[in-house]
Amino acid sequence: MSRKPISRIPVAVAVIAAGLGMAACGNPQGVGDDGKSDAGAKIPSRVDMVIPYDEGGGTDTWARFLAPYLKDHVESGPTFLPENKPGGESITGSNEFVRSGGTDGKEVLVTSGTTYYQALLKRPEVEFDFSKMRPLIMNGSGGVIYTSPKTGIKNADDLAKSKKKLTYGGISATGLDLTMLQAMDVLKKPVDATFGFEGRETALLAYQRGEVNIDYQTTSAYKTQVEPLVEKDKAVPLMSFGVLKDGKVVRDPNVPDLPTVEEFYRKMYGKEPSGRAYDSYKSFLVPGCTYQKGLWANEDTPDSIVKAYWASVDKLKKDKKFAKKSGEVLGGYPLYSGENAEKQIQKAFEIDPDARKYALDMLKREYGESLGGT
Amino acid sequence: MLDAAFSALGNLFALSNLVFLLLGVGSGLVIGMIPGLGGTGAVAMLLPFVFSLEPTQALALIIGAVAVVHTSDTIASVLLGIPGSASASVLMLDGHQMAKKGQGARALSIAFLSSMAGGLLGALGLTLSIPVARPLVLSFGAPELFMLTLLGVSLTAVLSRGNMLKGLLAGAFGLLLGGIGAAPAAADYRFTFGSLFLSEGLDLVAVALGIFGIAEIVTLVGTRSSVATGSGLGSGWRTGLRDVVEHWRHVLRGALVGMWAGVLPGLGATAGTWMAYGQARATTRKESKKTFGKGDPRGIIAPESANNSVEAGDLIPTLLFGIPGGAPAALLLGALLAFNIEPGPRIITHDLDIVYTIIWSFALASILGAAACFVLSRPLAKLSFVRFPVLAGGLIVVLFTAGFQDSEQIALLQVMLLLGAIGWVMKACGIPRAPFLIGFVLSLPMERYYFLTANLYKFDQWIVRPWVLILLAVLVVPTVFSLVKKFRSRRDPEASDIADEEEGEGPEPPRIWSIVVPSVFLVVFVAAFVISRGYSSQARLVPGLVTVVGAAMALCALVVGIRARRRAEPQETSTREAWAVEWRAVLRSFAWLAGFVALTYVLGVLLAALVFLPLFLRRVAEMRWLGIAVYTVCTVGALAALATFADIALPIGYLTPVGLL
Repeated sequence: MSRKPISRIPVAVAVIAAGLGMAACGNPQGVGDDGKSDAGAKIPSRVDMVIPYDEGGGTDTWARFLAPYLKDHVESGPTFLPENKPGGESITGSNEFVRSGGTDGKEVLVTSGTTYYQALLKRPEVEFDFSKMRPLIMNGSGGVIYTSPKTGIKNADDLAKSKKKLTYGGISATGLDLTMLQAMDVLKKPVDATFGFEGRETALLAYQRGEVNIDYQTTSAYKTQVEPLVEKDKAVPLMSFGVLKDGKVVRDPNVPDLPTVEEFYRKMYGKEPSGRAYDSYKSFLVPGCTYQKGLWANEDTPDSIVKAYWASVDKLKKDKKFAKKSGEVLGGYPLYSGENAEKQIQKAFEIDPDARKYALDMLKREYGESLGGT
Repeated sequence: MLDAAFSALGNLFALSNLVFLLLGVGSGLVIGMIPGLGGTGAVAMLLPFVFSLEPTQALALIIGAVAVVHTSDTIASVLLGIPGSASASVLMLDGHQMAKKGQGARALSIAFLSSMAGGLLGALGLTLSIPVARPLVLSFGAPELFMLTLLGVSLTAVLSRGNMLKGLLAGAFGLLLGGIGAAPAAADYRFTFGSLFLSEGLDLVAVALGIFGIAEIVTLVGTRSSVATGSGLGSGWRTGLRDVVEHWRHVLRGALVGMWAGVLPGLGATAGTWMAYGQARATTRKESKKTFGKGDPRGIIAPESANNSVEAGDLIPTLLFGIPGGAPAALLLGALLAFNIEPGPRIITHDLDIVYTIIWSFALASILGAAACFVLSRPLAKLSFVRFPVLAGGLIVVLFTAGFQDSEQIALLQVMLLLGAIGWVMKACGIPRAPFLIGFVLSLPMERYYFLTANLYKFDQWIVRPWVLILLAVLVVPTVFSLVKKFRSRRDPEASDIADEEEGEGPEPPRIWSIVVPSVFLVVFVAAFVISRGYSSQARLVPGLVTVVGAAMALCALVVGIRARRRAEPQETSTREAWAVEWRAVLRSFAWLAGFVALTYVLGVLLAALVFLPLFLRRVAEMRWLGIAVYTVCTVGALAALATFADIALPIGYLTPVGLL
């Protein structure tokens, strides 16, 4: 091939090494057109759905399930192309979206509670701000806290009297477990938590093995996985996170027999919950539960695009096929959208610095977790 | 229960469902054949269809693909020595050795037959165990899982028989790399150096492709020969059939190990196949053991049988507890959810017909897939007689694209290149790479279950649990046995166990390497130890232990190296010349690979392939221009088609035209 390979190789290697070194300094995937557009722009015929989670997971399923119905009901009938960019607790994909997504409606972002918490806790890597981005369609979620009959706890009084710390299995303190930890903090019964489970399902497995004795699951998982245990007296449901109605937390219509955390507190202590602990809990609960799954556009996306999505939600609600098939995927929770909803949603993400500080302090105090950033 | 089983069977043979099952099998086989794509690739390919089909059809499609994706991934491992998937990398030990001797067809037919048997046994096991699976899974808590991971890690010693020192060094290195990213039991991110990309940890597929695949490519491109050096296909599928029948016990045992690894959430398919291989090797008697690693049929049968039954076993946690063991199982869950079926105990009472549709589809797909591959095994085996540089061009493009799939971060290409270099050095110095991979795979599970055990139980509580005691016995008894044997053999020198020394492949590197390489490992371990001191107590325990063991091993290897160098006479001129040739060839191959990565950074993978392939095929493979044109167009076309129709992600460069984004 060549007569003097020895002299050429080092040169070639050096050149390539230099090239790679330069290449390593930047990330070409952040490159894209800036996608700025004027008011009155229409939704393009193909829209990328950026999903910062793995294929086949809950959020992914939610988005992919919704896609064909959106095509039917969003004006001009765009085709939605799901694109998964998992990693970094969903920060990687979301950052990429705000960096290159543009405002011309070519891309929308799919989110879940985990995404929000990274922003609300101000992880230093986060580049997105949901108090400024434009919510297109939101879907709530809920959860049920239950305990093992072996603890002897059946109601609020029992919990108030209990001395021994309950044991809980979680994924990580800064993910979706946060709501649960904060609820127990409001009730002044911090749990003995072990983190490192791979998912809420594995934590449920540990509960069934008797390794932990208090747990929470989303309402749909509760109804399929935990209710059979309740029937066999192997689990005692205590309370639900409730749903938000006109700014107030009320009972979850999916589990109407269960009291909310607020009601539970009243029964335990005979007064309304208040104070820093409760304020902090609520400021995380609303984004993390009420608006848990969502479809977002970048800040400054024109109304003409955003409103087309809002309009589709009314049509979706009237679609009989959608109503019949969406049960498990939406978990029995409503879709939110529209101008009023946008204001409420954006406001929910303007978190009070004191609520954040309290949450971080609580994590440090009870669970020894400390997080970068402020 | 029987009613449901039979109605499901009728359901399955309804024509429309059968068609989708066949489609699933077909796409699973094709995706499996492409090195590194495997499970994730199948998911990417099928996802768009799953949500637009009827439930039974979608299930047939997914199950068809899931059941066979680990049948056809064998092909690349056996014939080319490039892992078809992470769990198929185990076949590079015996399967590839057999192919090197020119018996590729035999190796493949053994693999496919065991695969079929494994799949069928898995489906059978699934049918029988559905009623008892729940209590069985629940009886395995964190302590039992911790003991299982320990058992898996201890396999590193089995797999490095002959050179324990180097094997443990490799195992410790694997455990260390496996610990990169978020710590399982604390809020720390370890060894990420501030990069968000590393915070997810290194992707298993990319690591397997780098350490085994790229390392193999550089040497084979360098020598310019074909994989097989033996004489013709010779003994073909008949011999393979005879091998499988003769070792039917290993088929059964492999399937059982695989089932277990699948049923218990948290271990994963790769650990399952390696454990199946390890148990086959560890339980064979002394004399016949020596052929292991040199093309022994049992080294193919056990892991290949486990390979498919893992997927069957994995359906139990998926369906009964909603815990998917891998990407395809997660897709299955998503599809079920979209049809208003949620996993849980009620799936058995309410949707038993669905469960049986899944099981029957699985069995049928295993048979169809293995049969198709079996028919193809003879023509496929000819691949191992093609001049390797011709294959390498396309393989380089495919490997980097496949490694990119999971994280979709372009920085991964450089990491793969680096891992390829490490893999090659390990290969040249006779440091076994199997323990490395086991360590890597089990690193996080071991740490996770250790902390769960320690936090949820007291020591005197968990250590006396029956399963823990059994696993402990499995772990300790053979060690004691071999120590006793060693003690006896010392008194009776004639019965001494001759170590099957695992020498480095290819020409012997200069002696200075046996000093430099351990020193580099030593520096890495010491540096990692120092860095790990900054983490919180729950995040630094395991890296601390691993680096101390690793550093000790590296130090011993260093001492051995120095002593050997002092004792040894200077190398012969012929050895030195052979090494010089090899060294130059490998450097040249690496330069080509690095060039491709650099091109990808600039142009994106599609255009980079368009530039790289003609150059490479002309200069290295010395092909004719017409062949080059056809080859290049086909490869780039296939990539583009996969990206358009199957949702495969392609790396994008700085200057990629907007239309190609």
